Amino acid sequence: MLFDILRRLMVMVVLCLAQALVLNRIQLFHCATPLLYAYFAIIFPRSYPKWAILVWCFSMGVVIDAFSNTPGVASASLTLMGALQPYLLELFLPRDVDDRVKASANTMGMGNFMSLATIMMLIYCMVFFTVNLFSFFNWLYWLECVVGSALLTLALIFTIETIRK
Amino acid sequence: MHNLLAFLTKYYHWFIFLLLEVASGVMLFRYNSYQGSVWVSSANAVVGKVYEWQSGLEQYFSLVEQNEALTRRNLILEQQLRLYKEQKADAHEDSVQSLQTMMNHLGSYRFVQAKVVSNSIDRADNLITIDRGTADGVEVDMGVACGTGVVGVVYQTSTHYSIVIPVLNKWSRISCAIRGKGYFGYVTWDGGNPVIAYVDDIPRHAKFKVGDWVETSGYSSIFPKGILIGKILEIADSPDGLSYRLKINLSTDFSRLRDVCVITEKDFADRMRLNEAARDSMALQRSRN
Repeated sequence: MLFDILRRLMVMVVLCLAQALVLNRIQLFHCATPLLYAYFAIIFPRSYPKWAILVWCFSMGVVIDAFSNTPGVASASLTLMGALQPYLLELFLPRDVDDRVKASANTMGMGNFMSLATIMMLIYCMVFFTVNLFSFFNWLYWLECVVGSALLTLALIFTIETIRK
Repeated sequence: MHNLLAFLTKYYHWFIFLLLEVASGVMLFRYNSYQGSVWVSSANAVVGKVYEWQSGLEQYFSLVEQNEALTRRNLILEQQLRLYKEQKADAHEDSVQSLQTMMNHLGSYRFVQAKVVSNSIDRADNLITIDRGTADGVEVDMGVACGTGVVGVVYQTSTHYSIVIPVLNKWSRISCAIRGKGYFGYVTWDGGNPVIAYVDDIPRHAKFKVGDWVETSGYSSIFPKGILIGKILEIADSPDGLSYRLKINLSTDFSRLRDVCVITEKDFADRMRLNEAARDSMALQRSRN
């Protein structure tokens, strides 16, 4: 348990620093920013306590908000991801897998994992940019942000999973 | 009762979810405007420290470039100073007296050197965090400038960090004047190109041309007179047709901002106390009426 907390804390710190110091500065075509910290919400194992996922995701969101000067935006969106993760993970797990199986390309297969990541990232980017822009006045810009950021983040997640594999 | 307890035990994570979402909502609506955004923002001590380390590292790598720029700037300034001294000596017999007046004028200001630890230029409400706070004598509403021109106005301060509203913020309004002409207006930014800003409220009878410099007017007492803001690119009518709207090219490159100066007046504290006293007495007067 303690080992799990320490490991997750380390992942959290690394993702936060990568996001705050490097990824937040990338803005392809003035809209697409990689939101790699959302990867944190995807990789919780099956039957991980739901309340713990929520608390982890919320904490991650608050730290990201503090670094990006967007109070409440990332924490609200990431908490929603934390709530949906256990249910979405069930949809993509192969049959007859262990109860404590980890969400990764290794255990689920690259296809299943990337499908899960795609759905979660699309939901995350939609919620994040809706809350961040807070209007659909410029809906085309909103759509560009959602699709652009989701694609960039998915490319990064694919790279990380390929390396881990 | 038993059913209720069973329901709560089964679905308690949804209650936690709601609670956390409400907490996020409170942060979103309460702190997402400029007001009160100081503790979940880059003025926070921990976040400020991390950004300070990063900025220190980046500065180390760009030292050569900065040294070159500073040396160049120093040379230009020395040349300008020599030219002004010569002109002054030619123009007045009592040049010592005029130099004395200039030094006295600048002497009423104090400059606090600061480093930019966090900066953005891609939003409509960009903010800059600097590594000087109330402990270094920085107060809200003080002006911030750098070697190439005006930067912004201090918006919030903590003990060791301050948040500055730069010219590149749609809420920024800095009083300005056209150099050598005296017509004054205020600088605004429309949220687009980070090198372009606009000057509004220049009167219709004003005579000036494209290429003239815009500088601080000195009326607001946040900035001394004569700090560069930018060069006029285009002259157009304001939407109501009553004044001119100038498109200017900002002299400060906000994307490469590193070293800045907070400009503090020696009698700033006295002036703020006086302002507060005036506000209090007006409030008292209103409450009596």
